Amino acid sequence: MSNPQVELHIAGQGVITIELDAEKAPKSTENFLAYVNNGHYNNTIFHRVIPGFMIQGGGFEPGMKQKDTLAPIENEAKNGLKNTKYTLAMARTSDPHSASSQFFINVADNGFLNHTAPSAQGWGYAVFGKVVKGEEIVDAIKGVKTGRKGFHDDVPVADVVIEKAVAL
Amino acid sequence: MPPPDAPALPAAAAAQVLPLPADWQCLEFISDLHLQADAPHTAQAWLDYLTQTRADAVFMLGDLFEVWIGDDVLDDPQSFEAQCCARMHAIAAHRALFFMQGNRDFLTGAKFAERSGCTWLPDPTCFEFAGQRYLLSHGDALCLDDTDYQRFRALARTAAWQQAFLQQPLETRRAQARGMREQSSSHQRTALVYAELDSQASLDWLQAARATTLIHGHTHRPADHELAPGMRRIVLSDWDLDATPPRAEVLRLTRAQGLQRLRWPDAA
Repeated sequence: MSNPQVELHIAGQGVITIELDAEKAPKSTENFLAYVNNGHYNNTIFHRVIPGFMIQGGGFEPGMKQKDTLAPIENEAKNGLKNTKYTLAMARTSDPHSASSQFFINVADNGFLNHTAPSAQGWGYAVFGKVVKGEEIVDAIKGVKTGRKGFHDDVPVADVVIEKAVAL
Repeated sequence: MPPPDAPALPAAAAAQVLPLPADWQCLEFISDLHLQADAPHTAQAWLDYLTQTRADAVFMLGDLFEVWIGDDVLDDPQSFEAQCCARMHAIAAHRALFFMQGNRDFLTGAKFAERSGCTWLPDPTCFEFAGQRYLLSHGDALCLDDTDYQRFRALARTAAWQQAFLQQPLETRRAQARGMREQSSSHQRTALVYAELDSQASLDWLQAARATTLIHGHTHRPADHELAPGMRRIVLSDWDLDATPPRAEVLRLTRAQGLQRLRWPDAA
């Protein structure tokens, strides 16, 4: 059984194709697909972009309007997958099992985000997929001009919009 | 390696040296409590800790408050912030409290210092204890990868920016602050993953301060990092008494035992 793929259609840029690892991250994959299929990611933005680190999205509409989410999911970071460049991981608060809709794409090898222990400090961030096409679009996004919007830092000045997310 | 257009670090050589009374035996460090009215369990744990600790001094290294929109929040004696300050002030009468700003509460000013009874700590601050030199920082200034934030940080620490910001009506600033909080019913924190501190810059700061240990918070990733033989970076945990499991940790430094991480309330 092949791994599910999802297309993120980025306004004015093209398509980022992501392959999800259903075998190593079944819960994160199922969770992500639920948001894709109920249209949650349509018309959301990459609201936090830090070059050399990661681009984060999945939670806000243009204008930094936060979207409601489903229940948080278990952290699958001890699945052995590493936060290397172009991998997709679940964003969360400091609470290890608080991930819901937000995700990020690593734009560098961020080893310090990997799981080291099942403790509050060692849990790490769960990698559950990778970019298989459209890396150049990820590269373009990480280079956009960013600034502070209200109390949010690193927000793209011009919205980077996911017009739609489609499961293939 | 910071990109070429990164703003200059605050001059590490200018790290203020804090003289400590010679008879102090025990120092404790906390950071990233993100205190707010909607998180009463964390606030209560913090107050219990400050009341019960036997340390000679407590160093609060940034993001004590989830957000600080201006000292005028203290004008209402019933405000959460005013109550926190009143409690700190009572404790500061018999225990030294030190306060360093973080990236969330950098707008704390003179009125806050006066009402809280805390001694101001610049970022970074250096001190000597039991023959070793330590460097204290919140940590955000060393996340050099985040060039956008560093640009903002430099700007936001200027009097001009702060005056312009604080001139906005209190309600406007409150609305902006509300806008940054997660709306999810389960938690009040933001889903942020922080970039890591730059190792070379951390080492540069330590070397300039002639210190061997950097203690900081900000990333919420508690760990001990060896930067070079004999040089290390110790990261404090954040506090969240609503989390499962709850997080509340104190770093204790004593003459007898050096540095220890202790869970609160085990640390009592």
